[in-house]
Amino acid sequence: MVGIIIVAILAIGASIGVVTARQPVHSALYLVGNILSLALLYLMLKAEFLAAAQVIVYAGAIMVLFLFVVTLLTAGKEERELPEDLPGQRIVAGVLSGLVGVVFAVLAIKYPGPVIKAPLPSHFGNLTGMGRLLWGPDFVYLTAIAIMLVSAALGVMVLNPPRKRRQIEAGDSEQQKSQTSPETAKKEREGTG
Amino acid sequence: MKASVGLLPEYIVGISILVTMVAAMIRPHGSTLKSWIALIGTLGGLWATIDLWTKPVHPALFFNQSLTVDNYSLFVNVLVLIAAGSTLLLGWSGEREYDEFPVLVLISALGMMSLGMVANLITLFLGIEVLSLPLYVLASSHRNTLGGEAGLKYLLLGAFSSGILLFGLALLYGAAGTMNFVNFASVAHIHSPLLAAGLMLTLVGLLFKLGIVPFHMWIPDVYEGSPTSVTNFMAFGTKVGAAVILLRLLAYGFYMSGPNWGPVLGYLALLTMIVGNLLALPQNDLKRLFGYSGIGHAGFLLIGVAVHTAVGAKAMLFYLLPYGLAVIGAFAILTMMGNKESITIQDLRGMARQKPWAAALFIVFMFSFAGIPLTGGFVGKLYLLQAALFAHQPGLAIGLVLGTFLGLGAYLRPLQAMFRTSPGESNLKGWNVGWGHVVVLVVALIGTVGLGVYPTPVVHLVGQSANFFWLH
Repeated sequence: MVGIIIVAILAIGASIGVVTARQPVHSALYLVGNILSLALLYLMLKAEFLAAAQVIVYAGAIMVLFLFVVTLLTAGKEERELPEDLPGQRIVAGVLSGLVGVVFAVLAIKYPGPVIKAPLPSHFGNLTGMGRLLWGPDFVYLTAIAIMLVSAALGVMVLNPPRKRRQIEAGDSEQQKSQTSPETAKKEREGTG
Repeated sequence: MKASVGLLPEYIVGISILVTMVAAMIRPHGSTLKSWIALIGTLGGLWATIDLWTKPVHPALFFNQSLTVDNYSLFVNVLVLIAAGSTLLLGWSGEREYDEFPVLVLISALGMMSLGMVANLITLFLGIEVLSLPLYVLASSHRNTLGGEAGLKYLLLGAFSSGILLFGLALLYGAAGTMNFVNFASVAHIHSPLLAAGLMLTLVGLLFKLGIVPFHMWIPDVYEGSPTSVTNFMAFGTKVGAAVILLRLLAYGFYMSGPNWGPVLGYLALLTMIVGNLLALPQNDLKRLFGYSGIGHAGFLLIGVAVHTAVGAKAMLFYLLPYGLAVIGAFAILTMMGNKESITIQDLRGMARQKPWAAALFIVFMFSFAGIPLTGGFVGKLYLLQAALFAHQPGLAIGLVLGTFLGLGAYLRPLQAMFRTSPGESNLKGWNVGWGHVVVLVVALIGTVGLGVYPTPVVHLVGQSANFFWLH
């Protein structure tokens, strides 16, 4: 119990750091801290596979991507914040969300949920157990997430189309009915142009 | 019943998603094959739904009690598939510039269909996300400033509301110890503050999707920036999905604790009806006007949930149909006015003289929105009024009437503009009518007038489908 409280405080502190840090790199590093403390929480709840996946996928892969983007986008740029429309809204929002958090914490401590005294199912938390769940009774959730990922991939295609298609669009809007100009046709034949 | 029978509409739509994607890949840019496949998939889903309806359907649970198929979910399927089909038809020529449009519409429709048959908390969240993710993309698919603003606003606010929803669901699970709505019914009478907190956060997430007043800020901007056919989908489909999951969660999962959540929703409904219709009054952009009026209609829908009776559930479910038909009709006329960035009230000037038929249809749909007799909107509002009065909630009834009057003012402004003669050149230059528009208009007109003149058969069907909970 004490361990969970310590890790929870770490996680909350790190997530506050993500929001309040001035530099994007610092935010990203705070996020690593948050992810690692979440992984510790999973470990304490005997979900070893989730903990390992959390570290490998989030702290390993996604954070590297984040840092890469941060260095690419903000290199040599001095970020100046725009003036706010509502002065002091961040402070008010922070105080209010802190209040809500305290209320929830008090509620959770005062009125805990029902204690489930069932023994852990076999293979709980490891790869076998996860696989049996995901490819057994929970397969429909896996399908839904697969569909979500497909729509995310399609979204990338729509919002950031390949250069060839962008050229076609530009040609379409310039000359609605006429045939594609020889230049674009040539570029198309050559590939990306 | 086997899953392959009970979930046949969803399977058909799912398979047509994949086939449409393949068609979009292998056919050259601008081919209509993918739209045809998507349309056939939608009609196939509709056929399978009607086929299931004629069989004696008993509520059946699938996939470890995560999905329910009953008359309620079948009725939702019909609504969603009408929305998806009309969106495909309205975007037939305008959205040709990107090939993924039909695929994204179908994915979002699949999410809405699954929201009709949600039976546990995980499918609730996944359904909301499958619904929303394609819409974020579709909203920003016009690459201009307004489109980008719409997409980013929708994405950020939607992500926040999803986070709040997820937190609420986690608290619900922690307080109740179960994920299934069926088991909620037995624990939900315990007055646990943690359960109440979880329910409150869950409701915030769902009411955001429905566009209820404290959480309505995104609607006008997103509607304005999205392509018109996508706005049509959001105005009809998203409202259907959010309203039916709200009804299912509260009237089925939490039917014992109605006195706790009923008054909250009642006050929100009152606020939404007044504020939404009031803000619709000064709008000049037609899409913004429909956005604010959609907020007002969401308030009307919320009456049916808030009164927490079988009559209320039926009234809400019925109201979705005339509202949606009026939406698809009105948006069909808007898309016929050409591929403009924004359509203002001034653009309608002289329409009654130049395009009398389209003007007449527009008047019918506007009357249905406003609730004039002999249109479906009137019958829907009548049932909602009846539900509010039967539940001894005169405040809701007064709010409904007041909101209707305010809305009438908002809907009469474009009609007034149509009868003004326009000086100089015509505003209706980009006027184009495709066969898709005609099909949508015919369906919307028959539905709107039919529901207004002879609503009995549909009322009977709605009565069957709203019987999913054990209030009586």
